[in-house]
Amino acid sequence: MYKSAIFLLFIIVSTSNKCVIAENDEDTSTDLYVIEGKVFPWENGAPNGWQLMTHVMANGGEHYGFLREDGTFIISNVPSGSYIIEVVNPNCVYEPVRVEINSKGKFRARKVNLIQTSQVIQVPYPLKMRPLTPFRYFQVREQWRVTDFLFNPMVLMMILPLLLIMIIPKIMNDPETRKEMEQLNNFTNYNMPEMSEVITSFLSGGEKQKSKAVKAAKKRQ
Amino acid sequence: MAPFVRSFRGNIHRFLIDVQILQYLIILIGLFNLSLCLYEDQVGKFDWKQNYVGKIKFASFDTVSAAKKIIVATEENVIAALNLKSGQILWRRVLEKGYAGQIRALGGVTDGDLVSVSGGVPAIVRAWDLATGHILHEWPIAEQNHDRIKDVKWHIKDGTLHHILPIYNSAVEVTSYDSKTGDKLKTRRVSAPFITQETECVLVAPYLACLKGDSSLAVLLLVHLFDTHSQPQSVTINTIFGAGAQGPYHLESVLGEEPIVSISADNNQRKRILLVGEVPVPIQRDIVGDATLYVVSVDNENILLETTYKNGAKIVASELLTSKSMPNISTSVTHNSLLSPTIIASVCPRQTKGVTCRHLLVSEDHSVALLQHNKLIWAREEALANIVAVEIIELPMSDRDQEIETEFDQKERDVLSMMFRRVGSQLKQAKTFLQSMLSFTPQQSNQRMDLVRDKFGLHKMIVLVTSTGKLYGIETRKGEIIWQLRVRGIRGFSKRSDAIILYVQRGSRHFPYPPQCALLAEDKQTGEGIVYTFNPITGQPLDGLVKLGYRIKQSMLLHVTTDDFLRGILIFDIRDKVHVYPKGATAIAASIAKNTYIFTADQTTGILSGYSLSYSTSQELISHKVWELLLSPKNQKITHVVSKNPIERVHSQGRVLSDRSVLYKYINPNLVTIVTEGVGHTHKNTLNLYLLDAVSGAMIFSIMHKRVRGPVHVVHSENWIVYSYFNEKSRRTEIASLELYEGKIQSNTTERQAFIFPAAIESMRETITEKGITSKHIIVALANGGILELPWMMVDPRRPINPEVREEGVIPYMPEIPIHMDAIINYNQSVFRVSGIHTSPSGLESTCLVFVHGLDLFYTRVAPSKTFDVLKEDFDYYLIVIVLAALLISSYITKKLASQKAQKQAWK
Repeated sequence: MYKSAIFLLFIIVSTSNKCVIAENDEDTSTDLYVIEGKVFPWENGAPNGWQLMTHVMANGGEHYGFLREDGTFIISNVPSGSYIIEVVNPNCVYEPVRVEINSKGKFRARKVNLIQTSQVIQVPYPLKMRPLTPFRYFQVREQWRVTDFLFNPMVLMMILPLLLIMIIPKIMNDPETRKEMEQLNNFTNYNMPEMSEVITSFLSGGEKQKSKAVKAAKKRQ
Repeated sequence: MAPFVRSFRGNIHRFLIDVQILQYLIILIGLFNLSLCLYEDQVGKFDWKQNYVGKIKFASFDTVSAAKKIIVATEENVIAALNLKSGQILWRRVLEKGYAGQIRALGGVTDGDLVSVSGGVPAIVRAWDLATGHILHEWPIAEQNHDRIKDVKWHIKDGTLHHILPIYNSAVEVTSYDSKTGDKLKTRRVSAPFITQETECVLVAPYLACLKGDSSLAVLLLVHLFDTHSQPQSVTINTIFGAGAQGPYHLESVLGEEPIVSISADNNQRKRILLVGEVPVPIQRDIVGDATLYVVSVDNENILLETTYKNGAKIVASELLTSKSMPNISTSVTHNSLLSPTIIASVCPRQTKGVTCRHLLVSEDHSVALLQHNKLIWAREEALANIVAVEIIELPMSDRDQEIETEFDQKERDVLSMMFRRVGSQLKQAKTFLQSMLSFTPQQSNQRMDLVRDKFGLHKMIVLVTSTGKLYGIETRKGEIIWQLRVRGIRGFSKRSDAIILYVQRGSRHFPYPPQCALLAEDKQTGEGIVYTFNPITGQPLDGLVKLGYRIKQSMLLHVTTDDFLRGILIFDIRDKVHVYPKGATAIAASIAKNTYIFTADQTTGILSGYSLSYSTSQELISHKVWELLLSPKNQKITHVVSKNPIERVHSQGRVLSDRSVLYKYINPNLVTIVTEGVGHTHKNTLNLYLLDAVSGAMIFSIMHKRVRGPVHVVHSENWIVYSYFNEKSRRTEIASLELYEGKIQSNTTERQAFIFPAAIESMRETITEKGITSKHIIVALANGGILELPWMMVDPRRPINPEVREEGVIPYMPEIPIHMDAIINYNQSVFRVSGIHTSPSGLESTCLVFVHGLDLFYTRVAPSKTFDVLKEDFDYYLIVIVLAALLISSYITKKLASQKAQKQAWK
């Protein structure tokens, strides 16, 4: 009675009913099961014979499944346990799926999460393996572009000082700034020698200079 | 103005800070940009791949399909279709590894479908599409007797699979299945009470032939498998051989379409064949014992092909019943890749010109050849699917460089002779120059012109040792086989899982001495050690096979050379005696014996021991045991003993920390990693790792992992160890890394960390470069056929878990190591069943040569720190020329302008 119940369950779980290798042993855990699924090719431009390049691997090569022409596969002779099912194809990335078969032959497929192993996000069983993205093994060769060249930090470091060198004389040529500069020069030149003079000039012309400086600042704006 | 100046100055300051940050960013990006820079146009430029199938077990010609081909099934669990004309693989399906994928039967090709039976209990039956290699059907066979799978015989005919199991002392059980759907059609029991465990039985469908008894009274019993009412027929040995034949007899079925058995007698001196049928017909003709037989039908007539080998394969054809010889079908071929061949499949179709036979021959050394008429059409070196030892050797210098070398040879210092030599070589140079000017054909050199050392030492020779004892020399540029050499009668060390050891005794730098490699293996008959020396560049044997007369326990290459630059081999036999090969190196070995230690590990007893040679005299080397360590085999089994690569160099002695202090690496060249896996109930699924000083026997470090199982792969280099295992608890592959530093208080400290690796690992190896300046990467072969270049920085045990702790060049810890697609160095050239990776330095410090072997061979080169010592191949010469020219011109112009300006100013 119990046995037949398991058997029924088994039939319900697996869509095709051609997979029973249950032996007449008492221990149910020696039963072997079949994992089924389908692999879908990359939609645009899957090369001819992609089924030949692809196979399905359980637990890193313990069991293999090969693709039929329509992409369906079975992995036979699988004892109960937990299996990571990976699609091996050199051109496309497929997300692996963890299939768990309990000792009663109940199947559960879920997303592989290696970090939080207890987290369960179920996916439909029989498996449907769809490609995530094509493999990009190569780097794209850089092409020479003017903008790349100009925004290169080294070039920027060279050009900016160059610009500054070009611009500063231009600013200097402006009569007003030149006057200011001269005044500044005067200020430094004449005020240095004697301390008393420095103090007197500072006390007398402090106001004036301040306003001028403000003016200059305003002008710059 | 002051604020303006100040703000200007501030701007500059900020700008400088920005630049600094930018620079840091650039450095950081440089550090983290771990991708490998393989561009699409570089495909096949430095790499090549070769596909193999392995030693052929079953083969048949597909004459049914439109495209004629050969279907093969191999010892490597591969089913493949080979092109009839070229021998190339049309399609190949790799089944499960090892016992789970072992191919037990292949059939149905003549009926237009292909059915294979593979695996253990229960076996899997797979039907394949002949033309494309897709799977059509797959079903497992329900097996009743788990332990008798090896006695089961399989017969595939007309879409039915017969499972034939002899049941001792009673009958033969024949279960028939539909080979497509797996439906059980019929179960029959044919009575055969004579079958016991000792009975030698062969399947000659539809009969089962069994030989019973060993003396002259031996009887051959034939059971018709599909007729339950028939009684076993019996044929006595005397009716086959006549009187006077001596045992032991040996029964074999003759390959081919017809049910024929051959029985050898007189200690395999001669054999006779018997045509099995309703009335068995013995053929009264002696066939030499070492001939292999095949029966092929030509125009509905059966032809017996006898293949013998004596300096060349000879196939003698004769009519089966009349023994009339047929010289137009008989052939004899001498070819390099034929060695004691056996016909495994043959077909003789009648064409307009007459009968042309095609034979597929499998040699003793696993090579496969197709013979058509008298010609060898193609040959495949299938021994390369089973490589056991690899060395990558520098090529010799070109003739011209060699002349310069001889010219400045240091041994002769006579002025006059040097002068003569100088003039002579210059005359020679002038002659070759004139010859090239007048376009004469250059003289034939004894070596190929392109097999010379290149500027960067990237062109090398790969020396391969295969499990069959066949050696190959493959050049690295295109993967062409330059030479092959057979060493007969050797096998790998049975105690060390059939390993053969290859030593490079002298490289190719010591002109005029030839480079020399030595092979250490066991004699096939006696199990005693042998040494075989050869030139790795030309494939010429040097001293030939030397039988040592004792069993080898351990061996080691001396690091000092004799006067002729030859490094001797120290051989340690099972009676703890030390020998030196060649004998001439004994004095050198004795001179360094004070500092020489030998370390052995016995897997069965679990004893590790260290020996010192310090008691040696100048005539004789004497060993005495210094230490011993027992890793009890009751609890654990030694699976890996990994030492560092002896040619490795460590460039940096320490590691600079963020506070500018230095952590010194613990670099002990004698450090050995020992990995054991737990056995027994209590220690099951545990893994132990020990770090042992092989000289003193001191245990430096040990760690135990619980709920962990293999496959374990270990990489040991510099001051770190990286190993991978499968975590049973979390059901994932993990990589753990250990790093050893000189401690402040104790002698060393260990850092360790584990990472999750999201793929199954087949093999691991570290990269190696000439001076060890380049950072280390780990080459990881993945089960999905990719080869990953994993920067060691990713498995650095000092990756901080706390993100606030920052160290230069250290990435914060993340549990999972991502697999970047562009770090897969073999792009879509998947390689399967990888058994090993060999890395070798090139002449460039930045570049490491990588050779991956398994079912496929793959060679490439990697640059772990990018090619910092050569210009990139896409280096823009024009741009730099233009920029330089522009700078030059502009500087001249500005000089002119400046002088003009000065002139003007002077005039003011």
